[in-house]
Amino acid sequence: MEQKTPSKNNWLMTIWRTIRVPLLAILSALLVGAVILLVSGADPLKAYAALFKGAFGNANYLKRTLEKTTPLIFAGLSVTFAFKAGLFNIGAQGQLLMGAITAGFLGFAIKGLPPVLHIVLALLGGCAAGAFYGLIPGLLRSYSGAHEVITTIMLNYIAINLTDYLADGPWKDRSGTNVIARLPLIEDSARIPFFGPVPVGFIIAILIAFIIWYMLERTNFGFEINSVGLNSHASRYAGMKTKLLMTSALVVAGLLAGFGGSVETLGVVGRFQPGFNAGLGFDGITVALLGRSNPFGVILSSLLLGAMKGGANVMQFDAKVPHEIIDVIQSMMLFFVTADLVIRKLFRIIKDTGGEVTLTAGWGQK
Amino acid sequence: MSKKFVLVFSLIIVASMMLAACAKPAPTPAEPVAPAEPAAPAAATEADCAKPEVICIGLVTDVGEVDDKSFNQASWEGVVAGGKEVDAIVNYVETKDAKDYVANMQLFLDKGYDILVTVGFALGDATVEAAKANPDVKFIGVDQFQGEVVPNLAGLIFDEAKSGFLAGVLAGKLTKTKVVAAVLGTDLVPPVVNFNRGYVAGAKWVDPEINVISTYHPGGMDVAFTDPDWGATTARQAIGQKADVVFGAGGKTGNGALIEAASNEGLYCIGVDTDQWETVPEAHKCLVSSATKAISPSIVDLIKMAKDGSFPGGNYIGSSALAPFHDFEAIITQEIKDALDEGLKAYDANAITLPEK
Repeated sequence: MEQKTPSKNNWLMTIWRTIRVPLLAILSALLVGAVILLVSGADPLKAYAALFKGAFGNANYLKRTLEKTTPLIFAGLSVTFAFKAGLFNIGAQGQLLMGAITAGFLGFAIKGLPPVLHIVLALLGGCAAGAFYGLIPGLLRSYSGAHEVITTIMLNYIAINLTDYLADGPWKDRSGTNVIARLPLIEDSARIPFFGPVPVGFIIAILIAFIIWYMLERTNFGFEINSVGLNSHASRYAGMKTKLLMTSALVVAGLLAGFGGSVETLGVVGRFQPGFNAGLGFDGITVALLGRSNPFGVILSSLLLGAMKGGANVMQFDAKVPHEIIDVIQSMMLFFVTADLVIRKLFRIIKDTGGEVTLTAGWGQK
Repeated sequence: MSKKFVLVFSLIIVASMMLAACAKPAPTPAEPVAPAEPAAPAAATEADCAKPEVICIGLVTDVGEVDDKSFNQASWEGVVAGGKEVDAIVNYVETKDAKDYVANMQLFLDKGYDILVTVGFALGDATVEAAKANPDVKFIGVDQFQGEVVPNLAGLIFDEAKSGFLAGVLAGKLTKTKVVAAVLGTDLVPPVVNFNRGYVAGAKWVDPEINVISTYHPGGMDVAFTDPDWGATTARQAIGQKADVVFGAGGKTGNGALIEAASNEGLYCIGVDTDQWETVPEAHKCLVSSATKAISPSIVDLIKMAKDGSFPGGNYIGSSALAPFHDFEAIITQEIKDALDEGLKAYDANAITLPEK
């Protein structure tokens, strides 16, 4: 390795080594996507240009891209935080739904509050619901040994059916001619506004990402979470309360996902409606893996996925490319990132010497 | 190592450029090729949609694909057929995320489209808002009940309970075990519930002793209509409980139930929305008929009305009936046909009480 000027170059090299595998995975996925487009008789350059235009082409498109990015950041942070403690949070979707419906309920049920107070209250409610929904698998994991992958997957189904029931039962929008399952519109005082074309929710998401980074890298709590993730036995031997730490990691993960759901309800959809939050929590797993379990990486990969989601309809409209290609590209990215051996073989990267990322103790660890 | 990496990387860049270059001549069918200036309206493209003499019809699907062999597809076929009748340019956008309804409609409005078809009750609110904001554009909302009349918006609705009732009468007449089944998309969607209410009422009208096993998909809106595996499993369970007629109502979920029924000997199945003989050939072995909503013909009618200025605002009730019996014509005896006629009369005379769910 050619490292002649250690101090500054070292730092740059570390970043490069951390991002090169995801970056190459993205490029490879786009390339595979281009080949598929070519085979199906479309022009990949034209398609990707339309995708880019649809994502960033004007203020409206940009706004939509940022709206789509926001929940991905929250869900990605949620999965990342659990990863750090060695836990695989598949339950971000359920936690996000619980947050979304709670914020939606507080958004329409409380009337006459001043705007900022109402937003804060609804957000707090959503966060609490998400945190509670993370507490359940946390306690189960720590005190009964039930694996969080199983419990969070099952809790997802409970959340889907519970929110469907609430939206079609006690909390259903009974106004006018409405026949479908959904909650009433939230009050204007609970709506998260825009800052120019930038949704305020997006700014909040960035702030939260910084806070999570600080928490993980600069606080005792973060240090203990990381150490539990690296080796829980050694951590316990060193006197850490590993059960409490694992539980709180899932609580924080649930809180983040619930936060994301609340922002989605209060800032984008304007009410809770079944189907409107579909898949966001699962995309969080993609985002966390692509972002190498780093809060800033999560922001970048969320932007990437958000742009792909935002631009997909213009791509279909302008370039006549079915939007399923986006799913293909996204899946290929996930494939190349998780099976990074393929990328390493392909590009002859023998091993990482810096920027090692430990995803979890049991899952996806190198 | 680093050099090798740069080499591979640049190779990929070059390769991608080459691939892209190859792609240039590839045909991109509906792409609006910039027309030569003197070209008459005959060669009109999407770019001319803003001109008053060029009619453009756009379709926004509900979450799902335009070839779903059900709702979206029937609507798109209606748009294509209607577009031919009035010599219009047609295009569609498939909705992937429910939050994009408005954005997808806007794509068409920005290009100056004249008629916009939105598919599914879930797009109802967005369609009403868009119709109010764009009074010069005609909107057709498939399956969207209108609470107030917006002059440029026609809500195409159907009496699902009526088609469901006919399916139920047919099932009741065909069953030998006195057990019939319905495999349904989610009960979050009123039309699906109405199909089942009619179906249950129809079977019981033939013989109150008949046991109807109705199962709704328990998942959310995101999976309820796209889960053929669940449909097949549920059909199998009902067949295990001696059901010998299966009614599949719920997009691909229902199709899964039909195909499962076809894999058993001596069973009958009934499709939904469109004549599924055309759309689910895998089910030919059991598919007696389908409880249809005449979506395509109704859309063609509405498009013609939009052109000649007699466009009806408010609710427009399309016709509902059973699809042809195709290969099963021989087993549909005169007695069954009489029962269907009689049932239809009883239904139209409001002599049928529908169950709650």
